Amino acid sequence: MNEKRKNKVITIGFIAILFILFIANIIKKDEAVSISERRKLAQFPTVTLENVASGKTMEEIDKYVVDQFVLRDSFRSIKAYWSDYIFRQKDNNGLFLKDGCIYKIEYPLNKKNVQKTSSKIKNICEKYLNDDMNIYYSLIPDKNYYLESDYLKIDVYEMQKVMQEVLPNIKYIDITDALSLQDYYKTDLHWKQENLRKVVKVLEDKMNLKNTSNIHYEIQNLGSFYGAYYGQLGRKIFPDTINILTSNTINNSNTYNYQTSNNEKVYNMQKFKTSSDKYDVYLSGATPLITIENKDGSNEKELLLFRDSFGSSIAPLLLENYKKITLIDLRYISSSILDKYVDFENQDVLFLYNTLIVNQNILK
Amino acid sequence: MVFSSITFLFYFLPIVLGIYYIVPTKLKNLVLLVASFVFYFFGEPVYVLLMAFSIIVAYIFGILIDKFKDTKYSKIFLILGITISIGLLVYFKYANFIIENLNFWLNNKIDFIYVALPIGISFYTFQMLSYLIDVYKNKTKVQKNILKLAMYISLFPQLIAGPIVRYRDINDQIDNRKHTMEKFALGVRRFIIGLSKKVLIANVLGEMINTFLSSSEMSVLYYWLYGISTMLQIYFDFSGYSDMAIGLGKMFGFDFMENFNYPYIAKSITDFWRRWHISLSSWFRDYVYIQLGGNRTSKVKWLRNILIVWFLTGLWHGAAWNFVIWGLYFGILLIIEKVFLSKYLEKLPSIISHLYVLLLVMISFIIFNGENVNQIIENLCGLIGIGNIPIVSPESIYYLKSYFVVIICGIIFATPILKNIITSNNKKKFINALEPIALLCLLIICTAYIVDGSFNPFLYFRF
Repeated sequence: MNEKRKNKVITIGFIAILFILFIANIIKKDEAVSISERRKLAQFPTVTLENVASGKTMEEIDKYVVDQFVLRDSFRSIKAYWSDYIFRQKDNNGLFLKDGCIYKIEYPLNKKNVQKTSSKIKNICEKYLNDDMNIYYSLIPDKNYYLESDYLKIDVYEMQKVMQEVLPNIKYIDITDALSLQDYYKTDLHWKQENLRKVVKVLEDKMNLKNTSNIHYEIQNLGSFYGAYYGQLGRKIFPDTINILTSNTINNSNTYNYQTSNNEKVYNMQKFKTSSDKYDVYLSGATPLITIENKDGSNEKELLLFRDSFGSSIAPLLLENYKKITLIDLRYISSSILDKYVDFENQDVLFLYNTLIVNQNILK
Repeated sequence: MVFSSITFLFYFLPIVLGIYYIVPTKLKNLVLLVASFVFYFFGEPVYVLLMAFSIIVAYIFGILIDKFKDTKYSKIFLILGITISIGLLVYFKYANFIIENLNFWLNNKIDFIYVALPIGISFYTFQMLSYLIDVYKNKTKVQKNILKLAMYISLFPQLIAGPIVRYRDINDQIDNRKHTMEKFALGVRRFIIGLSKKVLIANVLGEMINTFLSSSEMSVLYYWLYGISTMLQIYFDFSGYSDMAIGLGKMFGFDFMENFNYPYIAKSITDFWRRWHISLSSWFRDYVYIQLGGNRTSKVKWLRNILIVWFLTGLWHGAAWNFVIWGLYFGILLIIEKVFLSKYLEKLPSIISHLYVLLLVMISFIIFNGENVNQIIENLCGLIGIGNIPIVSPESIYYLKSYFVVIICGIIFATPILKNIITSNNKKKFINALEPIALLCLLIICTAYIVDGSFNPFLYFRF
């Protein structure tokens, strides 16, 4: 190719890319949400004189044009592949793919945040709980914990040591040995319900509950599951499958959601069909306060489960031991108003949190 | 608005290019003027008035200096014009720095003023000063058309991050500039290369630097990673912006001066400053150093002149002491080289003189990047393991592995190796065929990085 032709190709190519994308962006209809990223997309801002003068409108326009960019997911994929294959970076926006599984880096251990989270737990104990109650806490390791050593990951034992200093009188239940990489979804941060029997066994042992290993659960396959990490990474990999464990106890139990005032089944199939996060099938997804009542239960005991989203899938497996389980998610309800909704009597109490939550200090 | 944004690349630029090439020649300057004001308004909606005021000041005093040429009034108008221009710069950029120091040294309690630094003020103020001084010294003709002068000062490709284009260098181009396919393609090439330097190297390394700055798990390796990455980030960010500015200039028919010439292959600090931010160092040389007498004076005054220039160079980069220390650090190094070291450096093997420059420049950028003196000392001590820190940590090993290829790319592209291969005559046909494909792919990849919302800082907010 001679110089003249080269210059022509460069000029025409550049102009073509600029104008094609410009026109495509003008024509393209705005989208409200990104299904792959599971978030609302920025919309064209309301233009006011005040916002223009302060520069806020322009900042919002910058966000809007990035969010609404034509073929946004494809461009994000290009970036992810370039970062991985050309730059050989170990992660892309904190996420990385290894052996077909997506991980997110949560590092380093933030001792201050761990102390603050522990203090909140301590405050709840002091304010609402009494000495006669059986109180436990347990940490669900992030799945990175089970990777080999050259990846950055939170040391669960170090975290527990920090917590123990603040919570010396609460019993810690170590479930790290009851889990492995295979017990987590490949495209999501959560654990798989069908693999939690070993964890349930450890909890039952440590909490002096009856052993339910002999209970038979049916595994019902609900289909493909693209987890939260899938869209964030922007790479094409095979989806997971999502299963639910059913038994007579679970099937006969009902939930009451304090936020929606609805009674639902333990597994919310409507949510499964409509929600962008299929993990919402377990107890209808994120909500501040929900109870499960076991109608078949002969046991009179109740459990207060202070939990994050991981708690939604394990709670049904604890039903054999309880008449009622109250799940409290302190990310969505302040601990200062709990007594308006919950009667603190003589329940068992379990604080069950994923290490990511503890490390970020996001409990209210 | 920054060049490495979707708003600029896929809205502003196609619209401006489209209109610019559709309108007749006589309207092209007006299109650029309006576009430049829109560009500045998008980032600094209120300060667009300040820039307009500055332009009016430059216009009026330029006319007055010219009208009263060869009289004492010409000098008075020059001094007045300079005073107003520098006064605005001092007020908006240095007022709080001055108050802070007055409060510290005199135990005063003067309240800080609530004023944000207008982006690009240091660049356009220096352009205005060079214009007024050149008119006064008969080095250029006065511009009697305010729109043309406004277009020169506000010209968006070089408005917010340079190069500092002097009026006398583009005076003729304002009225007569050529638009050819060859020049446009050259501009596209420079622009995409600059964009890639900024988005694919500087921004990526910037992420690592941010991680380092927020980390508490320090090690000697991590401090070196930080030092090397900072060096590369600042070079690729700044030279990337200059490349984009020069490239955009060519798309609109202008030829701006080069601002960087592979500074990291320098064999002395003197050589480094001939290659780094050339438009600024030559500005200080011509308008400050030589005006003070340069080296044609006594040795004491010569040394004083060097220190004044480098004090001001440091201060130009930001209203904080770390920038002043950074400037004086180079001033002292240059004096040492000029007085005795340069003759030894010339005799040393190339590798030693390269390492000498790279080490001293890395230290300079650790000073430049420091938030405060404590942090600077900590980051410098960390390089030699002072402070009871381990040699390596899991975090430093992880990030070394993660950023290894980017750092190697940065090191290679900071030298002219690739340029030499491309410009060599061997396999010219093959390279010619490959170049357009590579450039357009780079544009797509940069777009992908920007769309992904990757780290995209504007490092010159303090300039």
